[in-house]
Parts: sequence; structure tokens; C-alpha cells
Amino acid sequence: MSGLSRREFLKRSLATGIAGGAVLYGGNKTAGASTKSLTGPVGTLIDLTKCNGCAGEKVAKCVSSCRQTNKDKYPSPVPSEQIPYYWPNKKKEDWQDKKEVTTRLTPYNWIFVQKVKVEHEGKQVEVAIPRRCMHCDNPPCANLCPFGAQAKTAEGVTLINKDLCLGGAKCRDVCPWGIPARQAGVGLYMKIAPEYLGAGVMYKCDLCYDRIKTGGQPACVEACPNGAISFGSKAEMKKLAQQRAKEIGGFIYGDKENGGTSTFYVSQVPFEKIHEKLKENKSKQPNPTAPGYPLMPVKVGNFLDTANGMVLSMLVAPVAGAALAGFTAYKKMKGDE
Amino acid sequence: MAEKILQGENKVKRHGFSVLFVHWTVAISTFLLILSGFGQMPMYKRYHIADLPGMSWSADYSVTIVIHYIAAVALIFAVAYHIVYHVLRKEYDALPRKGDLKASYQIIKAMITKGQEPPSDKYLAEQRLAYAFIGVNLLLIIITGIIKVLKNLPTVDYSPTFLVWVNNLHTLASMLLVFGIVGHLAAFLFKENRALLPGMFTGKIDLEYVKHRHSLWYSKLAKQESSKGSRSNLTSGHACPENCHAGGRNQ
Repeated sequence: MSGLSRREFLKRSLATGIAGGAVLYGGNKTAGASTKSLTGPVGTLIDLTKCNGCAGEKVAKCVSSCRQTNKDKYPSPVPSEQIPYYWPNKKKEDWQDKKEVTTRLTPYNWIFVQKVKVEHEGKQVEVAIPRRCMHCDNPPCANLCPFGAQAKTAEGVTLINKDLCLGGAKCRDVCPWGIPARQAGVGLYMKIAPEYLGAGVMYKCDLCYDRIKTGGQPACVEACPNGAISFGSKAEMKKLAQQRAKEIGGFIYGDKENGGTSTFYVSQVPFEKIHEKLKENKSKQPNPTAPGYPLMPVKVGNFLDTANGMVLSMLVAPVAGAALAGFTAYKKMKGDE
Repeated sequence: MAEKILQGENKVKRHGFSVLFVHWTVAISTFLLILSGFGQMPMYKRYHIADLPGMSWSADYSVTIVIHYIAAVALIFAVAYHIVYHVLRKEYDALPRKGDLKASYQIIKAMITKGQEPPSDKYLAEQRLAYAFIGVNLLLIIITGIIKVLKNLPTVDYSPTFLVWVNNLHTLASMLLVFGIVGHLAAFLFKENRALLPGMFTGKIDLEYVKHRHSLWYSKLAKQESSKGSRSNLTSGHACPENCHAGGRNQ
């Protein structure tokens, strides 16, 4: 299967709505957790005390297995020389000649491992952090896509519809971690007016949706030699994360961030320190503003917090308008008599 | 009633405060909605609108979404007011009528060829069509917009298929609305229509223009004036009989 086609995307969303999670997840097993079947949103637990970034390996196992599993979903753009610039700018995001990059997020690399050395309780602690889409509870990327090309499934997995996405990259801008990566020269815009409109298709982790739908697990979960990544029902993963954090006197990342996500990192080092270190490392890069190197801002808010705070006034508006109209019309009619 | 002949001023009162309030609230909020709506599409940065002096905010989605929400509150308020006000008063002059398409053609043709145009009521036939076109699109935009607002809430999830429809219907209706507004403004390229302009600022238009172009409306107004005159003669001479206040539009 080359990616998730629109028909399939729509079919699945309908199917999930009708059949419900119980049917879809019947018989699914969790890693590092109980084996009861999943009936609702799914989640992952990433235990940073167990991850060493596959020390000694050229590429971490989670990364290589993700690449192997998802390679058919990767973009197939037209040759580089045929991809127009994003008019009127002299730029385009084309990764087809850099498919081998595994040190950041790209359209051809949906997970990578960040490594930082952090001082904690008088010791230097090395932390390896697998990074990919957090699959948020209220994903601003999906909510704010102007074309509805992204959506959260009933399982809580955020998917990009590659047949509908025009590559405007708004999803990347409103994501606190800037996760989705853009590939030019592919997708719907190539059939419209590629010289002037559109910019490609956005790509990111889909939590191996086709695998989990058939009772499997995401490739990164299966591949981890240290059992650092667990997959199961979101509630169970959250509970496990809390237990583990309590056990080690550690911290959780992903539960509160962006209004809640389905990815729970557990670390013995405070995430504020990890974030600071990531920020420092990023500032030393040749292009410090380049996306693809997510930070870990603690308790980062959701892009929609302010807008959602205004919803009440929007719901009151028609009632207030109608009431004032009733009052004015009544007064006027009285006056006419 | 808002509309009446103002003999002393040589004018006709065409619109009351409610109509002016609704028109300008809808106009200003729609302008802001279009401006911020395009901002919510990734456009202003790419096409360097944000590089124009004073426009850097336009590329910030967090700014344009707040403008979009505030303007939407104003639009929904005005539209709800408009519908309820005119339904209560049973004022349906702006709704399309049978034959409006043909009459619009005749009026536009007459404006171009300087020929004779058919007599008009309060609104020209093409005004009624434009009202319906803009109104239907605004309603579509409001309904899909409210769904879009609700889906942004943490507790609300809709199916992906439904959201594709809602999002694209919102965008399509917005594009049609822009087309409608351009048409609405283009009407004033014709000199003949410009006499209507003061109506949307002061509520009043020239009496001679009404007599000449909106003759159907003028006869109604004249009739209304004369019946009012005779009624006031009646009431000034006699005590009002029981139930006389209950008549008219309110029935």
C-alpha cells in the first residue's frame, strides 16, 4: 500500500464511527502491559530510563524499523528539477535526495532520537529521546487544516490525508513541536497550479495505523530492544507512566502538554532541563530555526486555547441578536400604532 | 414603519436604523472575516502580504484566528437580528420573486443601452437576487463556521469525512461570497444605481429618483400616506374603536 489513500482514509473513518473501537481492536495485545483488547483511544509510553538510543548502532532500532515499515507510504515526488519553487519565493522543500537523513524529522524519516547530556543531582545524565508525532487529544494541526486534510481517528491517532493535503504547512506552524515535514513535488497541488499554489504534502508518524487496526503494534514499539516503548490503551499507558514516574521519582511529559497527548514520556530528569539542553543544541545548528528538531517545552499550551475561550460568546451571539430584534420590533410596532 | 415620503425634504425614508445597523455590521464583520480567513489559509507569508508595512501580524495564525472569531460573533449577532426582526415585522421585500431573473436582465440591459427599464418595487429585481445569493452563502458560512468552531473544542470530535465536507463548503461559500460582494459593489459602476447609495448611510434617498425608478414602491408609499392621513383624520375626530390598534401587519 502506498500511503493511506483518500478513499481508504474516508472508508476507515466511517468504519471506525460505525463499528467502534471494540470491533477494530478485538484481540489486540499491548506491549509491556496486559493483553486485554483495546476498546478506545490508544497510547504509548516512552520510558527514557530504558532508552539508550541503541548505543553502538548506527541508527536506533525504532528509527530503522519505522523506515522499513513505512517506506511504501513515503512520498514519490516528480524529479527535483521538475519541482517548481514556491512562487514568488526561490525555495522549495525537497527531501528526495536526502532520504537517508535519520538525525531529524523529514518526510522520509518520521521518528528520530535526540540525545542530550543533562546535569541532574550532581551527575551528568545522558538522555536519549525518541521523537515523533505525539498524537494529541485536541490536535491543532488537524483542527486548523483549512481543507480538512488532517483528522483524529476514534483511536486518537492523527492522520494526514495525502490526497487532500496541499502542503501549506500550517499544521507544522501550529504544532508546539513543529512535527509534520513537507515534501514538494507531490500531491494534489501538482494537478492544479503548482507554479503558484500549494507546496507539497505533509508527512509524519501515523502510529502505524494500518498495523494497529489489525491488532498489531507500531513498528517502533516492536523493534525496541530495551522495551522502552509500550503500546496499549491510552488509559493504561497513562497509568503505567504514573506508576513508573512514582517508582523512579521521575517526571512525565505529554500528559498535560498541548492540552494532553497520547504519548507519555517518563524521565528521571526534569523535562525543563531536557528542554533547555535541546534548545541550546538547536541554537548551535547551522540553521537554528529549521523545523524537524522538536524541543520539549513543559506544559506548553494548545494553540486553540484562546479561541476556545471565546466560544461562549459565539453561542450567545445569535440568542442576543434575536432577543434584541424581538425587543426592537415590538417597540417599533407599538410605536406605529 | 421606517419607510415614508418626506415631502419637506424631497426625500424618501428607505431604511430605518435596524437595516443600517445590520448592513454595516455585516459589511464590516464580513470584511474582517475575509481578511482573517485568508490569513488562516497559509497565504500572507508566502505571497509577502505580511512584508507590507504594518501587515506583519497577518501571517500570525494566532492573531487572525482571534479576529476571525470576534468578527464571527458580530456577524452571527447581526444575521440573527436581521432574520428575527424582519420575520416579526413580516417584511419580505428583499426576497426574490417570480420573474426576477428576466427583470434583472431587462434592467441591466436598459442601463447599458440607456433604454426603458421595467418599473421597480422597493428593491430592484437584481437586488433581490443578490440579496438571496449573498444571504444563502452567509448562512452556509455561518453554519459550517459554527461546526468548525465546535470541532476546535477539546471535547468535540467529528468524523474526518464530515470535516472534509464542512471545511470545503466553508471555503467554497466564502469564495462565492467574495464574488457576490464584488458584484454588489460593481453595481455602483452604473450611474443609475448611485442614487441608492445615500440610503445606506442616511437611510434617505431622493424622492424624484423613487418616483421615476421605483414607481411600484412609490405608489405603495403614496397609498400608505393617504390612508394614514385619512386614519389620523378619523382618530382625531373620534374615539378609537375597540381593537383598532390590533390591525395591520401584526395580524
